[in-house]
Amino acid sequence: MNTRSDRPRVGLFATCLVDLARPRVGFAALRLLEEAGCSVEVPLDQTCCGQPAFNSGATAHAADLARQLIGQFESFDYVVVPSGSCAAMIKVHYVEALAGEPKWLARAESLAAKTWELMSFLVDVRGYRPAGLALATTATYHDSCSGLRELGISKQPRELLAAVDGLELRPLVGNDVCCGFGGTFCVKYAAISNAIVGEKAAAVEGTGASLLLGGDLGCLMNTAGKLSRLGSKVRVMHAAEVIAGMGDGPGIGEEG
Amino acid sequence: MRVDVPPFKSRAKAALGDAVLKTAIDRTAGNAEKKRAIAVGDFPQFPAARVRGRQIKDHVVANLGHYLVEFEQNAIRSGAKVHWARTSEEASRIVIDICRAAGAKRVTRSKSMLGEEIGLPHALETAGIERVETDLAEHIVQLAGETPSHIVWPAMHKTREQVATLFNAKHAVRPDSDAIPDLVASARRDLRKKFLTADVGISGANFLIADTGAVCTVTNEGNAELTTTPPRVHIVTAGIEKLVPSVDHAFALLRLLVRSATGGDFTQYTTFHCGPKRPDDADGPEEFHIVLVDNGRTRMLGEGLAEMLRCIRCGACMNHCVVYRQIGGHAYGATYPGPMGSVLTPVIDGLAKSHDLPNACTLNGRCAEVCPVEIPLPTLLRGWRDKSWKEGLEPLTVRAGIGIWAYFACHPRLYRPATAISVRWMRLFSKGGRISWMPLAGGWTEYRDFPAPQRSTFISSYRAMRKGSQQ
Amino acid sequence: MMTAREQILQAVRDASRRQESAGDNVALEAGRLLEGIESCRPALPSVDVVGSFMARAAGPKVGASIDRIASLSLLPSAVGRYLAGRSKSAEIVLQPTAPLLGLDWSGAGVSRGENVDDGIAVGLARWGIAETGSVVFHSSRDTPILQAFLCALHIVAVPARGIVAHLDDYALAARYAGDPAPRNACLITGASGTTDIEGSLVKGAHGPRELHIIVVDNGIPS
Repeated sequence: MNTRSDRPRVGLFATCLVDLARPRVGFAALRLLEEAGCSVEVPLDQTCCGQPAFNSGATAHAADLARQLIGQFESFDYVVVPSGSCAAMIKVHYVEALAGEPKWLARAESLAAKTWELMSFLVDVRGYRPAGLALATTATYHDSCSGLRELGISKQPRELLAAVDGLELRPLVGNDVCCGFGGTFCVKYAAISNAIVGEKAAAVEGTGASLLLGGDLGCLMNTAGKLSRLGSKVRVMHAAEVIAGMGDGPGIGEEG
Repeated sequence: MRVDVPPFKSRAKAALGDAVLKTAIDRTAGNAEKKRAIAVGDFPQFPAARVRGRQIKDHVVANLGHYLVEFEQNAIRSGAKVHWARTSEEASRIVIDICRAAGAKRVTRSKSMLGEEIGLPHALETAGIERVETDLAEHIVQLAGETPSHIVWPAMHKTREQVATLFNAKHAVRPDSDAIPDLVASARRDLRKKFLTADVGISGANFLIADTGAVCTVTNEGNAELTTTPPRVHIVTAGIEKLVPSVDHAFALLRLLVRSATGGDFTQYTTFHCGPKRPDDADGPEEFHIVLVDNGRTRMLGEGLAEMLRCIRCGACMNHCVVYRQIGGHAYGATYPGPMGSVLTPVIDGLAKSHDLPNACTLNGRCAEVCPVEIPLPTLLRGWRDKSWKEGLEPLTVRAGIGIWAYFACHPRLYRPATAISVRWMRLFSKGGRISWMPLAGGWTEYRDFPAPQRSTFISSYRAMRKGSQQ
Repeated sequence: MMTAREQILQAVRDASRRQESAGDNVALEAGRLLEGIESCRPALPSVDVVGSFMARAAGPKVGASIDRIASLSLLPSAVGRYLAGRSKSAEIVLQPTAPLLGLDWSGAGVSRGENVDDGIAVGLARWGIAETGSVVFHSSRDTPILQAFLCALHIVAVPARGIVAHLDDYALAARYAGDPAPRNACLITGASGTTDIEGSLVKGAHGPRELHIIVVDNGIPS
C-alpha cells in the first residue's frame, strides 16, 4: 500500500443517507475523486457506519457496524466520505465504540488515520481545485457541526466553491449554529428540532441567496424540508454536486 | 389514540409555544453569548488559560481526599465549623439545625445553586424560618413562587414587564416606575432592612481554598457580603468539587469563570471568607459554618463522570445550546438545565426519571467548545445514552427501530433489497419530489417536508453503471 | 457506624483507586500548575503598573472614576472637589482607620456623619490590582466591611505603593504581609451592578452605585 502513489486507491463510503435519499452526491464524489487523480472503488456491500446506533447509546450495535466497515475498507489507501458526521464517526468515534476490544482498536485507529471527509480530502490531501466550472447564482453555506467541530472543516468547502465561476457565496448568519437535525433527535424531539430548523431556515432566507449548500446530507435534508414546508424558493444541494459540475441539476426535494 | 406524553416533551412543547419566554431567553442568553465572544476575543491568552484551568481541576479531582482534609483542617484552624453531608436531605437538615440552634427567625440567602440542589428553600419554609433571597434574580424568582431557570441568571425567563407586575404587587413600597433601574432600586429598598435584621446568612461558594480554609464568593451586586456580614451566623453550603489548592489557583479559574459567564473580566465583588469575626474585627459573623456536600459527587468520581467535576458553573454551555435557547431552563425540570444539567441531573435524580435530558440534544458540540475547562459534554451525554440503552429505558419503538436497522445494515445481502423496496415505497408518497406525510415518519413530516428519494439507491445505480460499462 | 465525613472520604478513596493515585507530591504538583502563569493571564498595557491600574479602573469594564494625589494630606480637598456641585449636602462617613481619621477634613466642604446606609463612605484600601482595576480591603478593627457595601457612593484611597500588577501578585503580597488571614478579603472591582432583568445593566443593585478611586503617592503608613 503506497500512500505516496500518484494514483491512490480510494474506497468511497457513500453513507446510508446518500445511498437511500440522494445518490447524486455519491456520483459527484466519484467524479471529483477521479478528477483528483484517484483510483476509486465502491465496496458494494457497504451499508451504514453505525452513527445512528452509536448516538442512541446502542454501542454494541454500533460496534457490529464498525467492525463490518473496517473489514470492508481497511485495505484502501484512503477512505473518503461525503459527510462530516459519518467521517467523524469513523475517524473519532470508532475507537470509542470498540473501546473494549483491543484487537479491533488497532485496526480502528489505522482506519481512522486514513479516513477523510470528501472536501477536506480534495483540498488538504490532493490539493485539488475544480477547473472550468461556471454556475451563475447566489449561494450560502451551512457548516455542519460534526465536520466543523470534530474535523475542522470550514475553509475547504469555501476554497472549492470559490473556484466556481459566477458563484456568489454569501455569508450565512449563524453558519456554525446547529440546524437541529442531530440524527434521531429530529424525530424523537421533533417539536424542538422544528424550532431550531425554523431559525436556520429564516437565516437562510435572510441571505437572499438562491441556493443553500453544505457538506452533510442530514442537515441539508432537514433544512430543505423546512424551507419547502415554508414555501421557500431556496434550492438546496450538497456542495460536492456544485463542485462536480452538477449544480444545474435538481435540488433536494425537487422532481428528479 | 394519544399516547401519554412524557413530562419533558410536554414541558418543552409548552415552552416552545411561549413567545414571551423566547424573547426573554434571547435577551439574556443571546446577550451573554455575544458578550462572552467579545471578552474571549479580548483575552488572547484564553486558550492557554483554559488548558491550565482544566489541569487545575483535574489535579484537584485526582486528589480530592487530600484537599478535603487539608481544607477542613485549615477551616477549623481559622475558627470555622465544618460539617459533612452525604445527601441533599442531610445537608438541608444540618443547615436547619444550625439555624434552630441560633434561634433564627429570618435567614438571608445569597445565590447558591447548590442550595437549590439540596432543596434548601423548601426545607427552610417547612421549618417555619423566613427565607429572604438577596440576589436580585433569586428575589424575583422567590416572589413569583418559581425556581431558577438558569444558573447565572435565575430569572432569565422573566421579561421586564413581568418583573414590574411582580414588584408592584409584592414590594412594600411600589417601584417608582416600570423602567428597569427603578425596578432594581425598588428591590434594593425592599431588601435593605432585611439584610441588617437577619439572624443567619447563607451563601454558597464559588471556590473552597484548601490551604487557608477560606471560602470564595463572587457577585456583581454585593449581596453576598451584605448577606454574610451582618448576621450572627454565616453558613456556607458547597459541593465538594469546589476545592482548589490556593488563592492563586482560584484566580486562574476566576479568569475563565467571569468571562465565560457574563463577558466581564472580573466580578465586582470577589471575597474570601475565612473563619468567623476575629475578636477585634469591626464587623462580621460570630459563627462560621461550612457544609461540605457530596450528593452524588463521589459517585460521579467512580462512574466515569470525573470530568464533570471540573464544572465551575459559568453557564456558557447553556447560553450556546440550541435546545436550551428554544425551551429555556424550566423545561428541563431540574435544578441544573442545559448541557451541564443534562449530565448532572441523572446523577442527582436518577436516570429513569431524567433520561430524556441527555437524549434531547443534537450532540453538536458547541457546549464543549465554549466550556472554559474543556468538559467533553457530548461524550458524557452519549455515555448516559449508553447507560440508558443498557438499562432498557428507551422506548420500545426506538429500541426496535435501531435494532432492525442495525440488523439489516449488518447483513448487506438483505439490506440492498430492503432499501430498494423502501425507496420505491417512499416515492409513493411523493408529490413533485416532496413528501408531506408518510407513515412512521410523523415526527419529521409534522413540521417538514421529506425530500423524495431518487428512483434507485446509489449502490444499485452504481452497480448498474458498472455492469453497463462492462458490456 | 461511619460518620458522614468518614463515608465521604472512603467513597473518594474507593473511586480514586480506580484511577492513578497521586502519591505524596500533591503540593508539588499544585505548585507546578502555577508555573508560567504569565502565559495564562492578560498582559498589562504598559510597564507602568499604577498607570495601567488607573486606566483599567476608569475604563468601561470597571467604570470607576479615578484621581491621583501626591500625598495623603491632600485627600480631604480631593474628596471635597469630587463631591462639589452635588445637590445633596456632602456628609461623609470615614473608615475608622487612623490615617483617615488623623486628616484635617475641616476645610474640605464636607461634613462628617455616622450613618453610611445609602450615604458616602470614604475608605482606605490596602492594595490595588492593575490587571483588574480592583481595590482590596481586609477586614480588621479599623476596616468594617459593611461600610463598603451599605453606602451609595464609595470613595476609596489606595496607596500607589500598594498597587500590584496581577491578581497573583496580590496573593503573594497578602501571604507575605505578615498578618494572620482576615475574616474577609474583599476585592472590589467597580460599583455594584446587576444584569438580572433582561440582561440590562443597572448600577447600585445592593452595593454602591458609584465608585471613586484616589491613588495616593505618599503619606500612607505601611
